Amino acid sequence: MPHTSRRTASAGSRPDRSQPFALFLFVVCVSLFVLVSFSQHQARADSAGLVRMADVESGALLLNSTEPGKYVPAPLLATDVQIDVTGPIARARVTQHFINPGDGWVEGKYIFPLPENAAVDTLKMVIGNRVIEGQIKEKQEARQAYEEARAEGRRASLVEQQRPNVFTNSVANIGPKETIVIQIEYQQTVRQDADAFSLRFPMVVAPRYIPMNATPQLVDFKPGDGGWGEILPPEEPLDLEQPPVLHPDMGKINPVSLAISLDAGFALGSVESAHHEIALIRDGPRKAKLTLAEELTPANKDFELVWKPVAASAPTAALFRERVGDEDYILVMLTPPAGQTLPKAKPREIILVIDNSGSMSGPSIVQAKQSLLWALDRLTPADTFNVIRFDHTMTVLFPQAVAAHGENLDVARRYVRGLSAQGGTEMLPALKASLIDPNATDNSRLRQVVFLTDGAIYNERELFTEITNNLGRSRIFTVGIGSAPNSYFMARAAEAGRGTFTHIGSETQVAERMSVLFEKLQNPVMTDIAASWPDGRNTQSWPNPVPDLYKGEPIVLSARMPKAEGTLTLKGELAGAPWEIRLPLDAGETRPGIGKLWARRKIEQLEADARIEGDWQKHDDGILKTALGHHLVSRLTSLVAVDVTPARPDGEALTRHDMPVNLPEGWDYEKVFGGEAMPTAKRAALHAAPPPMLAMAAMAPAAETMAPGLALPQTSTDAASLIRGGLLALMLATLLAAMRWLQRQWAHTALPGRRL
Amino acid sequence: MNAISKKAAALFWAAAIALCLGVGFYQIGQGLYIKAKAEVAQILLERAWQRTLTNGHPHKAWPWADAWPVAKLEVPTLGKSQIVLSNASGEALAFGPGHLLGSPLPGAGGTSVIAGHRDTHFSFLRDLKRDDTVTLTTSDGVTLRYSVGGIEIADARHTQIDPGAQMGIALVTCYPFDETARGPLRYIVFAGPKPDTI
Repeated sequence: MPHTSRRTASAGSRPDRSQPFALFLFVVCVSLFVLVSFSQHQARADSAGLVRMADVESGALLLNSTEPGKYVPAPLLATDVQIDVTGPIARARVTQHFINPGDGWVEGKYIFPLPENAAVDTLKMVIGNRVIEGQIKEKQEARQAYEEARAEGRRASLVEQQRPNVFTNSVANIGPKETIVIQIEYQQTVRQDADAFSLRFPMVVAPRYIPMNATPQLVDFKPGDGGWGEILPPEEPLDLEQPPVLHPDMGKINPVSLAISLDAGFALGSVESAHHEIALIRDGPRKAKLTLAEELTPANKDFELVWKPVAASAPTAALFRERVGDEDYILVMLTPPAGQTLPKAKPREIILVIDNSGSMSGPSIVQAKQSLLWALDRLTPADTFNVIRFDHTMTVLFPQAVAAHGENLDVARRYVRGLSAQGGTEMLPALKASLIDPNATDNSRLRQVVFLTDGAIYNERELFTEITNNLGRSRIFTVGIGSAPNSYFMARAAEAGRGTFTHIGSETQVAERMSVLFEKLQNPVMTDIAASWPDGRNTQSWPNPVPDLYKGEPIVLSARMPKAEGTLTLKGELAGAPWEIRLPLDAGETRPGIGKLWARRKIEQLEADARIEGDWQKHDDGILKTALGHHLVSRLTSLVAVDVTPARPDGEALTRHDMPVNLPEGWDYEKVFGGEAMPTAKRAALHAAPPPMLAMAAMAPAAETMAPGLALPQTSTDAASLIRGGLLALMLATLLAAMRWLQRQWAHTALPGRRL
Repeated sequence: MNAISKKAAALFWAAAIALCLGVGFYQIGQGLYIKAKAEVAQILLERAWQRTLTNGHPHKAWPWADAWPVAKLEVPTLGKSQIVLSNASGEALAFGPGHLLGSPLPGAGGTSVIAGHRDTHFSFLRDLKRDDTVTLTTSDGVTLRYSVGGIEIADARHTQIDPGAQMGIALVTCYPFDETARGPLRYIVFAGPKPDTI
């Protein structure tokens, strides 16, 4: 009896000890499992959020330094800027005076990052009172001409495109104490955000930038550098290694004078400069001239001009023209009404198409589902809707579009939440289904197809044919999902579908980007716009077809024809009533740069075609021809200016080591080359300016679609960590079993021992 | 009371051991499945590739596949041969290296970017040296010969490849090779066209 009671006591106390222990182990196992699977998911999410090529918007002449790959910016003495704004085009002429403060002959490199859409077409080098004009040449040819001149001691200058918005200008043989004047002209489109038009000119001087010759493949973007990238050095050593020289006094002087002539293309409302005082002179309702109220010293903030139209009740149109060679180039601008005078929108039929194929697995499907659910929440009871999902199979949720109210929306939400990503991508049947329109002639409703996909498809051509042939009254809005969707295809599909392209790269962007899209979808100002040109057969115009006009967007048509005469008729539907405008083509005001805009868009188009087809050689001829014809710097062409007479005497070398490094007083080397080179305000400005995707998709191929860089995908599997985790768990199991066995052994051996 | 606590203790132990065993076998199974999938898929892909070579059209290795063979990558010195798939989504990479959408197809000018998993198909990248020969056969049966130029290690968060920069191929995988956790580093092998072949 005492034995039993003892046994009871010990048996009773033992579970008291081992029970929590087993519980503890149990918890350990569970948390281990959770941790392993969580870390795997965590890692998966890391593959998104890659940094895109940001605008690089400031320039400096860089002199080679003793440290390979590092450059010292030469002091910029003075800058004169003249910008002519013509409707949506801004043409800038930047004249900069640089000095070589050293005693040797140097070669400098001038880096001028420009806003997206900027096209560099003119380079002038001023030596004494002679002006040397840059010639446009094929890239290799231009480089050869430059290198020959450099070797022969002649002054030369070469402008190359490094990336679509980063250009370099190399200047060879700048003499001791010599000043070189470089004039560059470029053209860009004005940014538009709803009814505000804006233009920015970079004024911040000499941030760090490491240029390389024409062969870079990798561009390295450090997190805090606000878009200042570092092109990774290639294998061979750098071209030139002269030490830099900077006169102590030169770094501080940097006056900028700036003048803008503004022809907005519409009745001007307010004209404001965000950061600088300006002197404004109005010249009629549409024009203004302005200068900086005082010369800026130092120039430490970007100049930003914002102008707004006077609210109008109907769209206004503007027309500009230019004759280049045997051809006329035309630019037409249609501005929607701004402010509260917006015509009332019609109810809509929205078809939401979601790709749930295997390539969407991971974060993509989560984003796509969120976007779709977001869209469902924004439908109004007057709208009708349907949902289609596809992988290699396809499901149309309702037999036809149904009213967007409680029960139907609930069915759709449940359905969407239940989707998972697997299988192949067969987009064509889904596209066909989305374009089946039983009420094709019903003009009381707008039919909008929203397509959420990553665009991993192979039959682009068939898809384009389907869109072009069967679009009818529908409009296609593509939403690219994931970190690297097939943007080229989707931007073009939206263009053919007369809609817009939106890119959603991460979950955090869903609400922001989708609300911009839905703001557009809910506010179509003018639909079914058709442009008929007098000489239709010989006219090439973009965009084609003309997209609808949404709130906050202008329509910009760019065209080329043998002779601009006759009448362009633009027809459309405004708030349910037909609208028509006739523009006599020969009445437009002549403005330089209209031809360049056309050429720039043609090159963009050809580059996009090359990307869509995955064939880069096929379109090179066309790009080369257009760029050479219009004097534009491109991927294949450069500007080169070469002086005829040698400047550097035969005996003297283009020195590499004669000049000691002499940083100006007050210039902290760390600050010049370290992360603090760019003022915080500018860094913030660079980050805070994401391209307005929709507006840009309507005006020109969106910036993101033109970003040439390819994100690098995640390329490791879970296999190793799974196996490792598994082995760990098995070891734990063995350990547990062993402990349990020992415990039982102890229980059995201890008790008889006590009995004695 | 006594019997119940004893029973409960035994149950806890059994549950803990069973769970660890379960988790262990499940994870090992998953891990081996990934490796096996990578190997077996290449056999099926090879079959689909042969069909593509005969008529030039894309053929999927299995009907529900989301990617199809677009090229064959070979490294004669290492005895490696792999079918390259049409995209580099996570799904596709489980079965073979994938060609990045947005970069040109091999032979079409520019830099073709091909990505693969460091622990399966592209584990051999660490053995590639400068001037090694890499060949790519395109779907029209043309064999392109490349020689390895530069090798870079880059941070994928801040680095992109410019597909228009240069004629050639870029083979991308994760780095470091023996790391099991997913990280931002990528190992990139650039190869340019071999001078003796155009």
